[in-house]
Amino acid sequence: MTTNSEATVAGPGGTTPAGPPPAPTPADQDMPRAVSVLVFLRDRGIFVLWGLLIVAFAFWCSPYFFKVDNALLIANAAALTALFAAGVGIGIMTGVLDLSLPGTAAVASCVCGWVLTHGHPTWLGLAAGLGTGVAVGVVNGLITIRGFNPIIVTIGTLSVLSGLAAVIAGGYTFPGLTQLEFMGTHRYLRAGDSFSGIPAPVFIVAGVFVVGTVFLTRTREGIRLMAVGGNAEAVRRAGIHADRYTVLGFVISGVLAALGGLVSTAVVTEANPNASPQIIFSALTAVALAGVALTGGRGSLPRVLVGALILATISNGLTIRGVQPYWATVCTGALLLASLLIERVIQASVSERLMAANLSVHQRKV
Amino acid sequence: MSTTATPALELSGIEMHYGFVRALDDIDFHVMPGEVVGLLGDNGAGKSTLLKVMSGAHRPSHGTIRVHGREHAFHAPSDAADAGVQMVYQDLSLVEPQDIAINLNLGQETLRKGPLGWLGFIDRKAMRRSSELELDRLGVRTAPMTRPVEMLSGGQRQVVALARSAIRVSGESRGILLLDEPTAALGYEQTRQVEALIRRMADQGIAIVVVTHDLPLCYEVTDRLVILNRGRKVADLPTAGADRDHVVGWITGSRASMFAEAAS
Ligand SMILES: Nc1ncnc2c1ncn2[C@@H]1O[C@H](COP(=O)(O)OP(=O)(O)OP(=O)(O)O)[C@@H](O)[C@H]1O
Ligand SMILES: [Mg+2]
Repeated sequence: MTTNSEATVAGPGGTTPAGPPPAPTPADQDMPRAVSVLVFLRDRGIFVLWGLLIVAFAFWCSPYFFKVDNALLIANAAALTALFAAGVGIGIMTGVLDLSLPGTAAVASCVCGWVLTHGHPTWLGLAAGLGTGVAVGVVNGLITIRGFNPIIVTIGTLSVLSGLAAVIAGGYTFPGLTQLEFMGTHRYLRAGDSFSGIPAPVFIVAGVFVVGTVFLTRTREGIRLMAVGGNAEAVRRAGIHADRYTVLGFVISGVLAALGGLVSTAVVTEANPNASPQIIFSALTAVALAGVALTGGRGSLPRVLVGALILATISNGLTIRGVQPYWATVCTGALLLASLLIERVIQASVSERLMAANLSVHQRKV
Repeated sequence: MSTTATPALELSGIEMHYGFVRALDDIDFHVMPGEVVGLLGDNGAGKSTLLKVMSGAHRPSHGTIRVHGREHAFHAPSDAADAGVQMVYQDLSLVEPQDIAINLNLGQETLRKGPLGWLGFIDRKAMRRSSELELDRLGVRTAPMTRPVEMLSGGQRQVVALARSAIRVSGESRGILLLDEPTAALGYEQTRQVEALIRRMADQGIAIVVVTHDLPLCYEVTDRLVILNRGRKVADLPTAGADRDHVVGWITGSRASMFAEAAS
């Protein structure tokens, strides 16, 4: 009889009421050390990678790279990618790949631009822009839960939104939106001449990632959202309205896209109706670097943030060395492919070790 | 069985189509409180489909469902759960990346006390503790509560899925538990212990329907056998005294339906 094999069902308490209660299970002690290390590398490897990149560039681009000012430059450059990556990433984690983000961003910034150029207050413009994101998310979500593939649906809405943005702008742009400077080029916490201050987008990104991470890992709605990404039918069978969470996932990615659009508008003080597909590609690259599985239900926002930071770090370091900018894309692509390979190797060796561990437990017992 | 007792769950004239495939054809079925019914049939006979109709995962094309005498239309599993019906699915329906505690508590998470709870923050510690208590009460053991389901063995997953439904149904004496091959991935000892769990829950007055290909298990725990063949009910008889050869004949289709005999 097995006594420590894990999947045991203890003696029938009803018929033998004095049966000894099972001893409390030791927390995770039964996992081999090597597996824990590998799992750590799989889940936290991207932080290690980023650290290595920073060290490498610090030497290679000395003395310009490893400086506070340059760090702020990188953070600011990563900010927009990070916002969109958060949108795409949360979408993928919750089981919906939202490709309409560039369109949502364009419409949100044009709606905001329209409101501001018609003399309305700044808060109303921002609220209208973010409201656009909510509306797009609800529409995407309501169509998708009718049983359509989210990728196709959002390609459709991307097309609709790109057109709508141009209609709102009447073929032009909305220039001179200087009211938005406080969330664009403005720097806060400046300390005399020694410290030039932290750019506004960095604060926005920090807020989004802190709130998003806490939401997805600590709150009921966030955990259900992740669970829907992992196995929507299982969540439905557990008695939860899984469809509502699918819509919520789209709304979150819509709002983040709108926020991204508003921040880019603020940086250049001009609302542009052109939906740039480049946005979605760099966001997807950051998400993929972060190891967010396209199958959903897995992934973490801090890693997505580091993914965006890695992209910015590479292009910053190469720019300092005067390397042509297109080499940056070559590098990030190669890095992405390499990370895929490494993840595959780690995953295979985790499974192998787990299997070997199970076997040895077996042999010890029998 | 007294004639005045109302069945815990009663289905009549159930028909179910998958596109053009007719998976269930005019099925009548009932289970009494405290009764264990074994649902038998070959692969593709329609057992899982019938169970999913009972659990609200599928809507039948025709037919009515009564729970303790009251007619219900289940639009989703949450409706069935509200009526006291819990099901363990053949594919287990667990969320792989989440840990055991979250899977056990999905849909009834414990929130933290105070303002954080109002904001929807969950209390993982409390959930782990209460899950461990519940499992002990059921006499069921798995891996540590913090282990993600994707890192469990097939048998451990099965125990988690079974425990989730058992926990939810064991509080109420009018509960109904549907089990789709609950012992498929379990070894000899574990299977015996799930048998004991099933009997204990039935003794509490819970109505249980168990789908299985394991005939000895059926003879061990069930009070009555219902046999499906290609979407039709071909036999419905007390387990005590049911001839094994006849049962196998009904399952494979080599023996004519009980009901066809009665009609002719
Ligand atoms: N989702 C589906 N779409 C189409 N047809 C299905 C679907 N699920 C089941 N079927 C069909 O319905 C019939 C009954 O399937 P069901 O899963 O109920 O069988 P079962 O008795 O549970 O078999 P098993 O013992 O293999 O689990 C089969 O012919 C099957 O092919
Ligand atoms: Mg089945």
